[in-house]
Amino acid sequence: MPDWQKFVQVQLAGLALSAGAKADVVDELAGHLEEVYEGHRRQGMAEALAAQQAMRQVTDWNALQRHIRNAKEGEDLMHNRVRRLWFPGFLTLTLSTGLLPMLLKFGLQPQLVPWSGPDTILFYVPWLLTLPLLSALGAYISLRAGGSARAILFSGIFPMLSLAACFFVILPLSFELDRSIAFHLTPAGFLGLLLSWVVTPGAALLIGALPIEILYTRKMHSQRVPGV
Amino acid sequence: MIGAGIKRGTAELAILSVLEESPLHGYEMARRIEEQTKGALRFTLAALYPMLYRMEQRGWIRGAWETSPSGRRKRCYRLTPAGKKKLSPLRKEWAELFGALKRLTKVAHA
Repeated sequence: MPDWQKFVQVQLAGLALSAGAKADVVDELAGHLEEVYEGHRRQGMAEALAAQQAMRQVTDWNALQRHIRNAKEGEDLMHNRVRRLWFPGFLTLTLSTGLLPMLLKFGLQPQLVPWSGPDTILFYVPWLLTLPLLSALGAYISLRAGGSARAILFSGIFPMLSLAACFFVILPLSFELDRSIAFHLTPAGFLGLLLSWVVTPGAALLIGALPIEILYTRKMHSQRVPGV
Repeated sequence: MIGAGIKRGTAELAILSVLEESPLHGYEMARRIEEQTKGALRFTLAALYPMLYRMEQRGWIRGAWETSPSGRRKRCYRLTPAGKKKLSPLRKEWAELFGALKRLTKVAHA
């Protein structure tokens, strides 16, 4: 008899529901196909033909995925976006930005690295070391809430995206409003700031979020077995 | 043979009606509807489950996992009080529609 559980898992690999809800749908649909198959077998149909007939219950699995998702959470789509994307993203942002002043209060000193001319780059090493953990936490919460690979990664690196937005939108705007800042900030200095506050923390956040994203992708991949 | 549009419209009524008789799991529900309508209404898996999940979201039916005597886990659906409440106006609406169509076709044949 075909392994209906694996068959349905493969077909519904992209079903964006929480892990528990998805497992329930897979179990239920696999059970249905198994009963259709057994019904045909009881009528004397050959195994291969009975399996083929059972598979005909669904002609477009992608459409079915969409219909199930819409049916299960159509009215709840916004709520799920908050749970999978915005809540873990903002949690990572709050924890990572809140931790730095706390560490400074406890006497954290930045490591100064000579950069270009009088400019130096600041590295708050203990803070940077906590970022992968915070990022992994955000990514994991998104994973548990049924987030997609993109949502998982986004949740983990959200602080970096916010800082990048500050640098590329808010800073140029403030240059425009107060030209004296622009006068003091050289391109090399700007690059140094970018390295201190966007690139390095971003890399640390990525280190935390990537394993969770890879874990999710592998989990999805492991469910992709050859068809029955 | 009944067309697809009418089938979609009557699907909810069919599901609520069979569940009014007894709690059922998906496969059994599809089989019973097909039997009782003499094959006029046939639910494939693809048509049945999105409908069940939508009705469950609306609170008309409630699904719960049960283990059959053979040890197989099945999700059994029951009609909720809200589903029972929904059933009677639905029946009335469809009875009125089919009554109207019947009268219309009789007039057309006359």
